[in-house]
Amino acid sequence: MAVEVRLSRVSRAFDARGGTRLALSDASLTVAAGEFVCIVGPSGCGKSTLLDLIAGHGRPRSGVVEVGGEPVTGPGPDRIVVFQEHALFPWLTVAQNVAFGLRASGVPKDERAVTVETWLDRVGLHGSADLYPHELSGGMRQRAALGRAFAMRPQVLLMDEPFSALDAPSRDRLHVELQRLWSETGTTIVFVTHNVREAIALGDRVVVFSSGPGRAIGEVAVTLARPRVVESARVVELAQQVRGLLDEADQLGVDAPRPAEDTHVAI
Amino acid sequence: MSRSERGVAPTLVTGSVILLGWLLTSLVTARIPGPVPTLTLLGQMIADGTATTILGRTALFMGVCFGIAAVAGVAVGLFIGTRPALDRGVSPYLAALQAMPTSLWIPVAAIVIGASVWSLGTVVALGAMPAVILGTRTAVKNVPPLLLRAGHTFGESGVSLLRRVVLPAALPGILTGLELGWSIAFRCLVAGEIFSGTLSGTGIGAVISRSKTTHDITEMLATIIVVLVMSVLVDRLAFARVQHRLRQTRGLVDSGLLH
Repeated sequence: MAVEVRLSRVSRAFDARGGTRLALSDASLTVAAGEFVCIVGPSGCGKSTLLDLIAGHGRPRSGVVEVGGEPVTGPGPDRIVVFQEHALFPWLTVAQNVAFGLRASGVPKDERAVTVETWLDRVGLHGSADLYPHELSGGMRQRAALGRAFAMRPQVLLMDEPFSALDAPSRDRLHVELQRLWSETGTTIVFVTHNVREAIALGDRVVVFSSGPGRAIGEVAVTLARPRVVESARVVELAQQVRGLLDEADQLGVDAPRPAEDTHVAI
Repeated sequence: MSRSERGVAPTLVTGSVILLGWLLTSLVTARIPGPVPTLTLLGQMIADGTATTILGRTALFMGVCFGIAAVAGVAVGLFIGTRPALDRGVSPYLAALQAMPTSLWIPVAAIVIGASVWSLGTVVALGAMPAVILGTRTAVKNVPPLLLRAGHTFGESGVSLLRRVVLPAALPGILTGLELGWSIAFRCLVAGEIFSGTLSGTGIGAVISRSKTTHDITEMLATIIVVLVMSVLVDRLAFARVQHRLRQTRGLVDSGLLH
């Protein structure tokens, strides 16, 4: 079901005014099969570019991107992206949105209906199947997006700050639900976020990226029992460690020294 | 759905104001027949079937010509909108073509094809097309890239991406292009009738030439009302309804839902 994701010395450049801008430079990252890895870093550190490369939406300038030992040549239903904005199709109902990818990959109608129902149930949207995205709250929309992604039974789930636009209570609930869905399905997850505490709460491992150009500068393993929540003292403590890594690389743009007892580490 | 989105009351109020303005104008201008004789004649035209004939023939002519323009225009627009190089090559010329009054082509087509229903039909269909093409192409270019990425990630590409993501996402814009194309086609039809009375076979031209000789424009006004009713019906029953439905499903009508 799950596969390994491996990026080896990957660079990616974009055309910018007055030349090219390196988004990623010699970045390497290995995510074990079934592992939940979070990537934190400042804006512009190439986190989203990294997901793009794994998803096959972009090609690296140099280096190799492999999923399950095979080089990535383009998008595929084995790697599904969950976007920051829900990206649900506004003209389709929740159920039709969840069915969208299944139809594209040729799942027969009867089986599709069963899968859609199963996943709407699992993300807690069984009563909202016939609603349109605009009729849902922000949390429900992202939940529908999760259901749409998991329904594809992807081997790798690529999540690009999926909860950053949500209110705190919805986010906390989705954190717990995502951890449950991950442990039930064993999907490999690469989760990109700005929020250090979110990264610690969700990941088996948190990889810290620096910007300009982006590359991994350190990592913190998280062995706390699941499900974790962002408020727990252990999460906050580890978050400070990650924050320290970011500080060291002077990636926060914060000059003022913070007092030792400052525990507000969510960026 | 708010009540102001539905209901005919606002439309009726505007209609009454127009009728009143017409009455006042006819009282001070002798040449303009008032609403009473015009509507009386309109009643006769409805009774003897002339109005129905004009309405039916106009609907048929417009249905065929606009149908062709709509299908071909949307197809070409989708094709151009998804190919930036082609778009840069073609769109300036389409914009130039659209800026020209379509009725200019009526005498040209009459000479090339012959003064028949075919020449006017060709001009009406081709005349409406640039608006539909440009509307579709702009709508396609305005499709949010996020939705395209979502389409890609869920395994769609090529024609199937076009059908399942691009087309529905662009639909509101395409509809605007179709509305514009419809009005251009309609104006072109009437212009054709002024140019030569019998081109479209709708009977509008015959009325116009009769009015020219008798200097009595009552029949012409009655016919104009028939034509106006037709365009109002199309607008209310087709375009406005579809637009409303699109707005509703996509959450662009404030339905007062609690989130």
